[in-house]
Amino acid sequence: MNFAEMHQPEFAQAPATERHSHGRWEPYVDNGGTSLAIAGSDYVVVASDARQSNGYIINSRYSPKAFQLTNNVILATSGYAADAKRLVEVLEQNSQMYFHKHEKPMSTTATAQMLSNTLYGRRFFPYYVFPILAGLDTEGRGAVFAYDPVGNMERVVYRAFGSAAALVQPFLDSAVGFKNQRNADATRLLDREQALKIAIDAFTGAAERDIHTGDWLDIYIVDGNGVQHQKRELKHD
Amino acid sequence: MFLTRSEYDRGVNTFSPEGRLFQVEYAIEAIKLGTTAIGIRTNEGVILAVEKRVSSSLLVADSIEKILEIDSHVACAMSGHTADSRTMIEHARVEAQSHTFTYDEPIPVESVTQAVCDLALRFGEAADGQESTMSRPFGVALLIAGVDEKGPQLYHTDPSGTFWRYEAKAIGAGSEGAQTELQEKYHKDISMLDAELLALKVLKQVMEEKLSNTNVQLAKVTQENGYQIYTKEELQEVISRM
Amino acid sequence: MDSITLKVPHTTERPAEITNYGPTTHISQPSVTGTSVVAFKYKDGIIMATDCLASYGSMARFRNETRMISVGNNTLVGMSGDTGDFQHMKHTLENLLTHEYDMDDGQNMGTRSIYKYISNIMYGRRSKIDPLWNSYVVAGVENGESFLGFVDYYGTTYQSPTIATGFGAYLAQPILRKYVEGHEDELTEEEAVRILDDCMRVLYYRDGRSFNKLRRAKVTAEGVEISEPYPLDTNWTIANYVVGYGS
Repeated sequence: MNFAEMHQPEFAQAPATERHSHGRWEPYVDNGGTSLAIAGSDYVVVASDARQSNGYIINSRYSPKAFQLTNNVILATSGYAADAKRLVEVLEQNSQMYFHKHEKPMSTTATAQMLSNTLYGRRFFPYYVFPILAGLDTEGRGAVFAYDPVGNMERVVYRAFGSAAALVQPFLDSAVGFKNQRNADATRLLDREQALKIAIDAFTGAAERDIHTGDWLDIYIVDGNGVQHQKRELKHD
Repeated sequence: MFLTRSEYDRGVNTFSPEGRLFQVEYAIEAIKLGTTAIGIRTNEGVILAVEKRVSSSLLVADSIEKILEIDSHVACAMSGHTADSRTMIEHARVEAQSHTFTYDEPIPVESVTQAVCDLALRFGEAADGQESTMSRPFGVALLIAGVDEKGPQLYHTDPSGTFWRYEAKAIGAGSEGAQTELQEKYHKDISMLDAELLALKVLKQVMEEKLSNTNVQLAKVTQENGYQIYTKEELQEVISRM
Repeated sequence: MDSITLKVPHTTERPAEITNYGPTTHISQPSVTGTSVVAFKYKDGIIMATDCLASYGSMARFRNETRMISVGNNTLVGMSGDTGDFQHMKHTLENLLTHEYDMDDGQNMGTRSIYKYISNIMYGRRSKIDPLWNSYVVAGVENGESFLGFVDYYGTTYQSPTIATGFGAYLAQPILRKYVEGHEDELTEEEAVRILDDCMRVLYYRDGRSFNKLRRAKVTAEGVEISEPYPLDTNWTIANYVVGYGS
C-alpha cells in the first residue's frame, strides 16, 4: 500500500459510487485477524484472535473465527469473514450428514480431505479463506492441516495464517520448529504447556504490531479427553 | 403364491390388498434359480465361494465371473440374474471411489451395502425429478464381504433393497440345504483355513456337478491383504485338503 | 451521407468483448441513498437512530423517509445505502413474515432468525455479484438477552455492543466506544438518548449527506418503538472558527 492510499479514507456510502462505478465490483474483503495451530504428540493447540476489521475500522472486538466442527475437530480461519462463515456452515453440514450416513463421526483426516475438496470445488470463485484444521489423527497424535484458498493441503506441525502471519510464522519457526539452530532437535514436539505459552506469546506480540489482530484470543486445546476452550484478553486498542 | 396371481402383479410398484409387491417377491424367487454362493465371516477375514455352471465342455469356465471386486477391501459374490449386478456393482465401485476421493479413507462396508440397496427400489416410473434406471426390480442377490475399522463383515442384499449382516450365508438354488449346513458347522472362532474348507464342502454338497477347480470360484477379504481371488493352483490346494 | 444512429439517453453499448465473454455481472450503482445508522446496547435493550433523508447523489431528494422498520414482534432493522434495495428487502421480509403468519402456530420469528435470513440474502446476492447496496443493523431483545448485529453487501456479519454504519463508523463509533463499550448494562435510557443524540449531532455537523430530521427507535422486552421525526439543537456559531479542511 502506498502513502497516498494509506491516507485515503475508505468511505462506505456515497464515495463508494466513485470507487466502484468504473470497473468490476470486488466481491471480497479482507477482515484481518490471525490464526495458528501447534500439534503435539497427543494434543493440538489452536489459537485465533477475535477482532474483525475492515481497513482501519474495527467492526467487532469479539467475532470468533475458530470453530469446533465435530467432537474433536477445530477449524481456524482468517481472510474474508463472510466466506469463512459459509465455509464453516458447509463443513458442519457435511460432517453432520456423514455422521448420519456412516454412523460414526468424521475423523480429522477425513474432514481434512473433505475441506480440500470443498475449497477446490470453488476453484473459479474461491472462498477467500486461509483455513487451518486441527484435531487428533486415528493414532491419537496431534494433527494440523493448512490450506490455501483453493484447497492446496499440507499436514504440518505448526502454522500461522492471517494478517499477522508474517510476524507469527517466523516466531513459530524459531520457537516450535527450532529452525537453523545448532544442536537443537528440530523434530521434538512441544509439551502442551510450552505450546500454549508460545501460542499466547505469539499473539501478544502480534497484537502489539498488527492493527488487525487483537482484542480477544480464543484458544482450543484438543486431546484424548475432548476439546477445551478458553478466552483470553489481548491488547484492546 | 402363484395361485393368488392377480391384477396386482402387473404394475411393478402396485401393492396388493395384502400389502405385497409381487414383482419384488418374484424377483426374490428368481434368485432361487441362480447358482449357489456362500459367504463365511471369520475373525481374520471373510470367505466367498460360488458355484459356476459349466454347461458345456466348449464353454470357457474362466469367462464366468461371479465374484467381483468393489474396492480393495470389499468384494461381492452374486446369485440370480447376474447381468443385473453390473449396474449395482458399478454403482458400488463409484460410491467407494468417491468416498475415498472425498474423505481420504476406505468406505465402510455397511455404507457400500447401503449404497447398493439404495438402487434396488429405483424401478418403475420415475418420480418427479428422479431418475429411474430400471423398468423392473433387480433379479440378483449379493453377498458383500469386506473389512473396515469394525473388522471383517458379511452382508446379504436382496431385490427388495433390504440388507442383513450374517456370520455365514448361502444364496441361490442350493441355499436352503447350504444354510442348514452352515448353521450346523459354523462357530465364532472358525479360522480362515477352516472357513475355506467349510465353504467348499457345503458347496460340494449342493452342487449337481462334481466340484473341481474350474467350476467353483473362491475369494477372501482379509484385514492384511484386502480382496484376493484364488488362483486355480490355490483353489486346488484347498480342494486337496477336503 | 452517413446514417444517423440514435441512442437512448443513459444507455451505452458494451464493447463486444465484454458482452460476449466473461462472467455475467449486474453491478448497479446506488442511486437514492440513506446515510448512517447508529445503534448500541443499553440497560433495557437497544437504541438506534437514522435520519429521514434519502439523497440522490448530493441532492437532498426525499426528506421524509424512514430507514428503520419493525420486523416481527421484537426486532428492529435499520438500513443505510440504496433505498430501492431496501424496499426489495422489506418486500422479501414481508413475504417471509406472511408465510410465518399463515402457519398460524403462534411462533414468532425471532431476531436471530431474521438476522440470519437477511445475512443469507446479502451473502447470496454478493455471491451472484449482484449485491443489494445496503448495510443492515438488526436489533432485538429475546428471553431477556439483547442482540445487535450488522450485515453489509459483502455478506460480512458481526455482532457488537455498538454499531455504526457508513460515516457513523468514522464519527459515531469512536464516541460509542468511549461512552458505551463496557457500560452497556448500566446505561439508562436517558443517558443512552443523550449519547445517541450527540452522535447524530456530530454526524449532522460533518456528514454532508445527513439531515437534521431524524427518528430514534428502541427495542426492549416490551417490543419495538420508533419515534416521530425530531430535530436536534445545533450550534453553528463555532463554524466561523473552523479554518482549513477546505472551509
